Amino acid sequence: MADKEKLGNFTAKDAPEYEDVLQCMRCGFCLPTCPTFVLTGRERSSPRGRVALARAVAEGKLTFNQAMKEEAYFCLDCRACTTACPSGVKAGEVMEVCRSQVHQQLPLPKWQAGFRNFILQKMLPDPDMLETSMLPARLYQKLGIQWLVRNSRIMKLGPKWMDKAEGMMPEMHQPLRQQLPELTPAKGEKRGSVAFFLGCVMTLMYAEVSRQTVRVLSHQGFDVFTPKQQKCCGAPHLTEGDRETTRQLATHNLDLFLDLPVDAIVTDCAGCSAALKEYEEILAERQDHAKLDLFRSKIKDVSEFLIEQGLRTDNLQPINKSVTYHEPCHLCHAQGITRQPRELIKSIPGISYQEMKESSWCCGSAATFSLKFTEESQQILDRKLGNVKNTGAEILVTANPGCHLQLAWGLREAGMPQPVMHLMELLGQATPE
Amino acid sequence: MISENILEELRRKLGKEQVVSSPEDLLVLGYDSTPGLHATPEVVIYPTSSEQVQIAMQIARDNSLPITPRGSGTGLSGGSIPVNGGMVICLNKMNRILEIDEENLTATCEAGVITLDLFNAVAEKGLFYPPDPGSQKISTLAGNVMEDAGGLRGLKYGVTRDYVMALKCVLPDGSMLTTGGKSVKDVAGYAFKDLLIGSEGTLGIITEITVKLIPPPQDKRTFLAYFDDIRIAGQAVSKIIAAKIIPSTMEIMDKATINCVEDYVKIGLPRQMAALLLIEVDGHPAMVAEEAEGVERILKEVKAAEVHVAKDAEEAASLAAARRTALSALARVSPTTLLEDATVPRSMLAETFALIERLTEKYQLTVGTFGHAGDGNLHPTVLCDERNEDEMKRAHAFYDELYEQVLAWGGTVSGEHGIGIAKKEYLARQIGPGGVAVMKRIKQAFDPKGILNPGKIFADDQE
Repeated sequence: MADKEKLGNFTAKDAPEYEDVLQCMRCGFCLPTCPTFVLTGRERSSPRGRVALARAVAEGKLTFNQAMKEEAYFCLDCRACTTACPSGVKAGEVMEVCRSQVHQQLPLPKWQAGFRNFILQKMLPDPDMLETSMLPARLYQKLGIQWLVRNSRIMKLGPKWMDKAEGMMPEMHQPLRQQLPELTPAKGEKRGSVAFFLGCVMTLMYAEVSRQTVRVLSHQGFDVFTPKQQKCCGAPHLTEGDRETTRQLATHNLDLFLDLPVDAIVTDCAGCSAALKEYEEILAERQDHAKLDLFRSKIKDVSEFLIEQGLRTDNLQPINKSVTYHEPCHLCHAQGITRQPRELIKSIPGISYQEMKESSWCCGSAATFSLKFTEESQQILDRKLGNVKNTGAEILVTANPGCHLQLAWGLREAGMPQPVMHLMELLGQATPE
Repeated sequence: MISENILEELRRKLGKEQVVSSPEDLLVLGYDSTPGLHATPEVVIYPTSSEQVQIAMQIARDNSLPITPRGSGTGLSGGSIPVNGGMVICLNKMNRILEIDEENLTATCEAGVITLDLFNAVAEKGLFYPPDPGSQKISTLAGNVMEDAGGLRGLKYGVTRDYVMALKCVLPDGSMLTTGGKSVKDVAGYAFKDLLIGSEGTLGIITEITVKLIPPPQDKRTFLAYFDDIRIAGQAVSKIIAAKIIPSTMEIMDKATINCVEDYVKIGLPRQMAALLLIEVDGHPAMVAEEAEGVERILKEVKAAEVHVAKDAEEAASLAAARRTALSALARVSPTTLLEDATVPRSMLAETFALIERLTEKYQLTVGTFGHAGDGNLHPTVLCDERNEDEMKRAHAFYDELYEQVLAWGGTVSGEHGIGIAKKEYLARQIGPGGVAVMKRIKQAFDPKGILNPGKIFADDQE
């Protein structure tokens, strides 16, 4: 990439392609689907506007300035515009690439950059360090300090994002990576072997959910390999504009997983599966094409995989509840997976499924968006909660840890009774021991 | 450049929130959906009431700032592009539906209401607002009125003009004018309302619209017919009309369009076919049954390759939705999509398709054609690259020759997109110097200083 020619006011490294911005014919079909446009009514905060700004930078009519930085990060990267665009423009991806331009062209003050680099380049790529870092949080909960903090409402005195971050923290268990065996054997008639890609947030914050995922897969007749050497998928780095670290992580995971004797590589984190499916593009200039192709063909979100293989329903126990489903953006918009999660939910006996309005509208979590733009995130969340409420469902199901954190927090704050469950938690509940 | 004093006055009188002047905002409010056109305004106003439009207009007039009205920027002839800079008035924050009057069957809306939002709101009350331009899910009602937008249902239900009952607008002299009303009949004086419809923002800025609503059809049947030869599809259309059947929709897509749309929607459209027709008949169930039979008989007679019937309303809706993406989907294959809006008397459809084929060959271009076949309104779209000068020249020669013949057949250079910037010269050819002169006098009467949406429809005298 380094030897590429510089495009307008972008730097040569990790810049949008000119063809990608030229592709937009400005029909505006994306506008009503963009949460930040609907919120602000501001053209520059719409996919069409953002692509037009990127085009102006590419054509040297605009410098890569503060406004570009704002829009690159104000974009939720929810990809609803990608789904809506008949011309095949990927405005979300263009903004994601612009985030690396932000760090090249508008560097943070030194101490902030140091902190960011430590998190992205040292901590996230090192599972041991990451897990150790969560120890204080677990102690915080175990020793009752969290109870004290929440009841004293002391967090209300600090910045909003801090209060929210604390409030979002789910009950944490020992990280799952340390506990899962390298091989969990299939139960019943064996149907194949899969590798389990364990997302960072899943292992740290939703260990019990991913435990269910492995149990369900095994129960469905699959040997489940969970290699301990796996590292972060690199999605946080993409969203924070550090594409280089993503490439390093991707290379590691690519080699590790391709060495395993499995038919598919499965994950229960929509953010991870979306990023893993993008390795093909991210590593296009560094890796053998056939190898990337093979890897891409094996990556499956767990719902996609189970529907492809056919769910064995004979032993499922009934759950007599009404359920609605919030579609994670990185599942429905980034991967086009919309039918499969619904089919899985409906195949559990006893469940009454209630479709919610605007099920594929972002919940406002969007990686760190919910902490950076607490106000806007809240407005987007409120729209979602209203739609959840109207279904009257008893359980809200989703399939991505980011949405899970945001929705669980939102429902609690709004005093709504529904628990949030990951799809695999629900399926786990229906799966006998 | 606009002076700080004017900006200050605007902010003071309209509120800070309503006035936008940062370069990044201005940069993205000077385009619409017309390829290759872009200009930058000096200030953009987001009024929230008719009175605010009036104030903005007065300030602009006092300072001789050109004014360009804008909705969602989905126009296809450059109508909302501020070619002379100045002030853009963005009406999309005036988006309230003020009233749905079930006794008079009307709805009254602010200018920036989204077409589809109105459709849905009246549908909830068991009523029907038929005009449905391709961009209905984001286009604004005032934009529809200003361009007299058509849509897929034009054949049977007519276009936007046929539904406008009253308009409230601000004239360039800063006065407010209300024209029309809820009365079904109104012949009091000149029909200003009809003059304003399709005036492309050159006579006044619409702030409020009252439209006519009708009861929705009770039943419908949707057909998808495939053809080996696009000319046969043209004959089918003419024969259906000649058989005195008026379907609500009769849309055509050629092979290039079918393939681009299928790339996007993936619903199994026939990639190898030369053309398809999407036909819908609606109305009373007995009539629908009779007309459906007639349509099927004619399709068989002309030897359509295959005829399918949509199995339910959902499938019918997905077919119409697919058709609406045609233009944007064609943009997949090339950086630039030059779209035209030629309309011919329906009896000339087959000849028009033959002509398009011949000219495509002659000028060595890639062309995708789709459109409202039942209205004789076609959108031959040249798929090209604005960076290729030679190709652009050939594209313009293609349209030149096409329009010459279209006019010779008694057709028009624009069925529903308007003249705007792009087709001024063609309009002069169609209506002649006498026609242009009268239009200019009308413009003069409304806007003597020429500050409202200059550079549109016909060349300024200074040009």
